[in-house]
Amino acid sequence: MSKSFFEINNVTFAIGGKNKVNDVNISIENEGDIICILGPSGIGKTTMLRTIAGLEKINQGEIILKDKVISSNKIHVQPEKRNIALSFQENSLFPHYSVDRNIHLGIKKNSTDNKNINSNEIIKILNLESVLDKYPHQISAGESQRASLARSLISQPDLLLLDEPLSNVDQSFKEDIQVALKQILKKNKISTIVVTHDSYEAFYLGSKCAIILDNEVKQFDDPYNVYHFPNSVQVVNFLNRGILLPAKVTGGNSLENDDLGIIKGKFIKHYPTGSNVQLLLQPEDLEHDDDSNLKLEVVDRKFRGTNFIYTLKTQSNKLIPVAVHTHHWEQHEVNEKFGIKRPIELEHIVCF
Amino acid sequence: MFRNLNIWFLSSLLISLIVIIPILTVFSSFFENTSNYFEILKNTFLFEYTLNSLILLVSVLFFTFFIGTGSAYLVSFYEFPLSNFFKWALILSFAVPPYIYAYSLTAFFENYGTAYTILKNLFGDANYNKHIPKFDGMFGSILSISFSLFGYVYILTRASFLYQSQNLIDLGKNLGFSNLKSFYSIILPSARPAIVAGLSLVAMETLAEFGAVDFFSINTLTTGIYNSWIAFDDLAFANQLSFFLLLFIFALFILENLSRKKAKYHFNSRGGFKQKEKIKLVKKKSFFAFIFCFFIFFMSFLFPLSQMLYWTIKFPENLYDLNILSLFLNTLYLVILSSFALIIFSLISNYGNRVSQNRVLNILSTLSISGYAIPGVILAIAFITFIAWIDDSFIKNLGYLSIKKIFIGSIIGLVIVYFIRFYSLAFNGIKSGYEKVNIYVDESAYLLGYSKSKTFMNIHIPFLRNSLLFVGILVSLEIIRELPIALILRPFNFETFATTAYISASEDLLEAAAVPSLFLILIAALFIMISSKYILRDTNE
Repeated sequence: MSKSFFEINNVTFAIGGKNKVNDVNISIENEGDIICILGPSGIGKTTMLRTIAGLEKINQGEIILKDKVISSNKIHVQPEKRNIALSFQENSLFPHYSVDRNIHLGIKKNSTDNKNINSNEIIKILNLESVLDKYPHQISAGESQRASLARSLISQPDLLLLDEPLSNVDQSFKEDIQVALKQILKKNKISTIVVTHDSYEAFYLGSKCAIILDNEVKQFDDPYNVYHFPNSVQVVNFLNRGILLPAKVTGGNSLENDDLGIIKGKFIKHYPTGSNVQLLLQPEDLEHDDDSNLKLEVVDRKFRGTNFIYTLKTQSNKLIPVAVHTHHWEQHEVNEKFGIKRPIELEHIVCF
Repeated sequence: MFRNLNIWFLSSLLISLIVIIPILTVFSSFFENTSNYFEILKNTFLFEYTLNSLILLVSVLFFTFFIGTGSAYLVSFYEFPLSNFFKWALILSFAVPPYIYAYSLTAFFENYGTAYTILKNLFGDANYNKHIPKFDGMFGSILSISFSLFGYVYILTRASFLYQSQNLIDLGKNLGFSNLKSFYSIILPSARPAIVAGLSLVAMETLAEFGAVDFFSINTLTTGIYNSWIAFDDLAFANQLSFFLLLFIFALFILENLSRKKAKYHFNSRGGFKQKEKIKLVKKKSFFAFIFCFFIFFMSFLFPLSQMLYWTIKFPENLYDLNILSLFLNTLYLVILSSFALIIFSLISNYGNRVSQNRVLNILSTLSISGYAIPGVILAIAFITFIAWIDDSFIKNLGYLSIKKIFIGSIIGLVIVYFIRFYSLAFNGIKSGYEKVNIYVDESAYLLGYSKSKTFMNIHIPFLRNSLLFVGILVSLEIIRELPIALILRPFNFETFATTAYISASEDLLEAAAVPSLFLILIAALFIMISSKYILRDTNE
């Protein structure tokens, strides 16, 4: 008997030899948990969902849902028998039925499940009331994506698979839906796997995130750890939230970089003194201080609403991102000098 | 390879194999012995047959391009008197098969024909015969086939023009192009795949044409095949001639297929399309546009219709001599049986292809739909050859009675060959309906708990309802007009409008051919009118 509600054990996902993800081991521990799969386009995320849904077969490993093997090299439970819902990224509404009928086709007549999902509530939350009488070709891509999501939710699945569920939804509306979606899923204890390439969406929705890179799961951890303690250079590069600087370990809690000098903090992993490492520096690691004698040249400034992200050039031509609150009293233009507070002390030191 | 083996896959495979048999029969007969007829023909008429086929093909392509593209351009881009009427009226030309057009041409222009009668009534007795031009022989055949088939070019080109966004036209204007320059440097090139597709269909039908060229006594490869079978009883040689003709047709078929693939790029996705604003023509330009379209409409539909109507009224005894009801019921019987079989099996085959996603099946299906490219004469003869081979090789050897009577000269045989001939029409018609449903729709249904059969019955069939109706009408129209297959394979004493018209005409009784021809045109026109909204589907539908 498996310990988790849902498990993927040693499965290699592939369709016709393409989009291969090797030897995957991930799980949903408790019913109602949400996990996210993050990775670049074309890496095989959708293939994973299709396989879990039973639309593709596997040759090795096993997929277990509620203590029952649903896929292995010998067993393949048909998609219609799995009670797994998949909300596709592309329009998958039945073209000859109205949106209303499409959504209500999700209701399973003989469902014995005790989940009590109110279709009207879902329709209201997903803001679909005004398009219920329309046909799929008469609505926008975002609306059809939401309708498809509503249909999947109403079907009261044991496992819900969402493939880029909000990719076509307007930015202004996206955050509200993310909040509402998470509430519905939690309230109704619907275990969910969300595939996305938007790391913020993944970090918000998922209690755990799997990062797929180079045909394998590079990291499967909670969002905080994935962001602050990436376990490989590839994950750092994929998340693109910092840079790697060459440094030399100078003691149990310090290291030195040629441009920034001594940097202090708690090492996540032990490195012997004197060893050369690559230090991960994220935008929130350095602090602005124009009184400091450590000054770097501003080469770019990006406005990100809450923050400005300055790109600073070091003497050895490395580009370092630094976040500064937009209400900060003094802002700098490109080509100006930008002071960095010393001594540099980091919350944690991540090196490779 | 056969990972997804299921009942749908097996059914599709079986259907494709059945349809492919006549094609294989023609190819295999290439290696058989023939009678002396081949030697005689090779030294005498073979060159003439090939040359005539080529002259006919090139001329018909030229005419159909000119009138098909010209009329499509005018009704798509301009507004002039009756332009909306011409938009659908021009497709009525499909109601007149080339052989009936040939009868009309002859009836009107022959010595003491309708033209003579009109002149006599207007200007009194005189020797008008000398001055009335004679549209027979090769030129008559070219005119008959062109006016009957230009609709293919018209429909496909017009559809392509409709899919051209106003943005494209605006771009031309922005670059300072005149209307003429916009036409040949923007509009025409982007409609090229559609025009080529239309011309390829015309080419296949022209090479397959039997009734009109036979009536005008023009010897082509197709009539050669018919003669070698009927006069010399040489099936093997008929098949060998067919093989050469098929190679020619396959080249065209590949060309058409390639151009269709390109045509996909001409469909605009939602959002980027801007509906065209039609330019209102005035004065001289408006008059010429009207005259051009009216001339084509008159020549392709009104002229043969009124000629047949005129003769039917002039010689009413022919109306009483024929058992119209029986001809109607026979035609209807064939139409219903064949359409039913075609729709059911094409639907199953399409779904089988969709759910199996099997490469072997895909190739077989592509080959099997080439039946449309094979002239009816060849198909009928290949079918007889195949049945005779089965009968001689297996049935008789096993001591059973001959099966020839079941399949040759029977409704069953006729329906089977119609099935093979028009399978591609039905298959492609349903396929284009299916192309509007992406595969995620099926998968969503499975994930909602629907089995494959339930998805087929509850999701696909309701969605394809309109496509099925359209396919049914299109197939019916073809069967009503079809001549050589019915002529060769029909049961004794079983006549349709098409065969009755042909028999009367071949006995030089054109007046008697008028009644069945008139009924054929009227019934076909009715079918066209019912389906016109599907044939002329606009972009916003």
